[in-house]
Amino acid sequence: MECVVQGIIEAQHVEALDVLLQGLCEGQREAVKTHEICLKKSLETGTVASELHLLCDLSKRPQIWTVKHIGGAMRGTGAEQLPALVRNIVESKMSNNALRFFYAVGYKMDYELLRDGFAYRFQRAFPITVTVTSVCRLPKQHSIDEATPVTPNIQLVEVTAPATADNFSDVVPAISSFAEHLSPLVNLSKPGSFAGIVSTASTAAASLLSRSDRLEHRV
Amino acid sequence: MVVKWVLHWQPSAGAQVTSQTLVDLFRSIESMNGVRTGRWQITAAQHRPFTRDQAMAIDCAKELLGVAFSEFASKHYFVLRAERMVVEADSSIQAIMEKLQVYRNRLSMVFEGFQYQLGDFQLKAGRAVLSQAENLRGIVLEFAQVEYSPVSSIEKTRQMMQEFVDLWQEAISAQSMSGRISLLEPNFAEYALSDTYTWQHTALQYIFLFAYFLSQSQRA
Repeated sequence: MECVVQGIIEAQHVEALDVLLQGLCEGQREAVKTHEICLKKSLETGTVASELHLLCDLSKRPQIWTVKHIGGAMRGTGAEQLPALVRNIVESKMSNNALRFFYAVGYKMDYELLRDGFAYRFQRAFPITVTVTSVCRLPKQHSIDEATPVTPNIQLVEVTAPATADNFSDVVPAISSFAEHLSPLVNLSKPGSFAGIVSTASTAAASLLSRSDRLEHRV
Repeated sequence: MVVKWVLHWQPSAGAQVTSQTLVDLFRSIESMNGVRTGRWQITAAQHRPFTRDQAMAIDCAKELLGVAFSEFASKHYFVLRAERMVVEADSSIQAIMEKLQVYRNRLSMVFEGFQYQLGDFQLKAGRAVLSQAENLRGIVLEFAQVEYSPVSSIEKTRQMMQEFVDLWQEAISAQSMSGRISLLEPNFAEYALSDTYTWQHTALQYIFLFAYFLSQSQRA
């Protein structure tokens, strides 16, 4: 299982968000460059309750392929009231013939995209990952080098944490409270119910950047 | 990774493979001063497409073969023979395939037995049984040269491995067993596997053996 909140931020404020995250996370910033291929069955029968994604991590050598099965979100009034999305997820690393394998077992590519940006991983009560990425379209099939941002001025911020049926009720508040720290720059909420950009982000960003400039000069 | 050869017991014409054959093989290993070091188990499965409705048959591989090793439980391997593919994945891939509901498990075979240390070699000897039944489908023998400067090249180790097989064959003949140990070597290159040995090579060897044992019992 995983808990997720998402939000959008103007590209001009990403640098300030980076500074904020550096301060909060104390960890190493990692590059994110993931080719994501969304698969669907060649013959769709009924409603598609789940998604199958094939991810190729291009930031590492050799490239690492992972298949991710994303199940439906938790349902019920309790779940509706949670500030984060809780959903079933199963992942598996695979050899680099993964795409050919899924084509052979009856899947085809629905769409593909490139996520380009950075991530911070850190540990509070639970391991939390924050990714800030530009979602890019590929003009031709698998044309990674020609990827262009879908929304050049907007980037996606995602905060996720792994969870189990036993602990998700503790993981959700942990993610929520972390999300509060980012609220000067980005509104984080359940995927699908976007809260829009933060109108006062410019002020917060300016303040963060000037503070970090002063710190750098002191060092 | 060390090169492994997976062989099977080929009974002489008219002879049967029985549990006694396996006991005799264990004895032949012990007669060569092999020391038993533990148990092992490998599971191979055959999956067919899940077609609820014939008219809605998805265009997919008609057969999906899977294999898992007790000594390397974090990984799972799939082989698609018609497509000439070996796929390596984390063992969580089984949970994913289960959720996708594209294939269902039709047959499973368990290979299990004892492991031995014999000088520089590590040997596995055991039986193959279909998981729903107890009768023996075959006898499998796997060995690898594990001690001192193990080499990963299949071609470079071929002669040494063959010498070991010949030596073992002599020990077996000395016990007047009617049969021989036989190698079913898959064409690794056809499956895009190189001369450098990996777990994918082992997976392919066991899948070939699984298919071979199935075809033998169907003929009988």
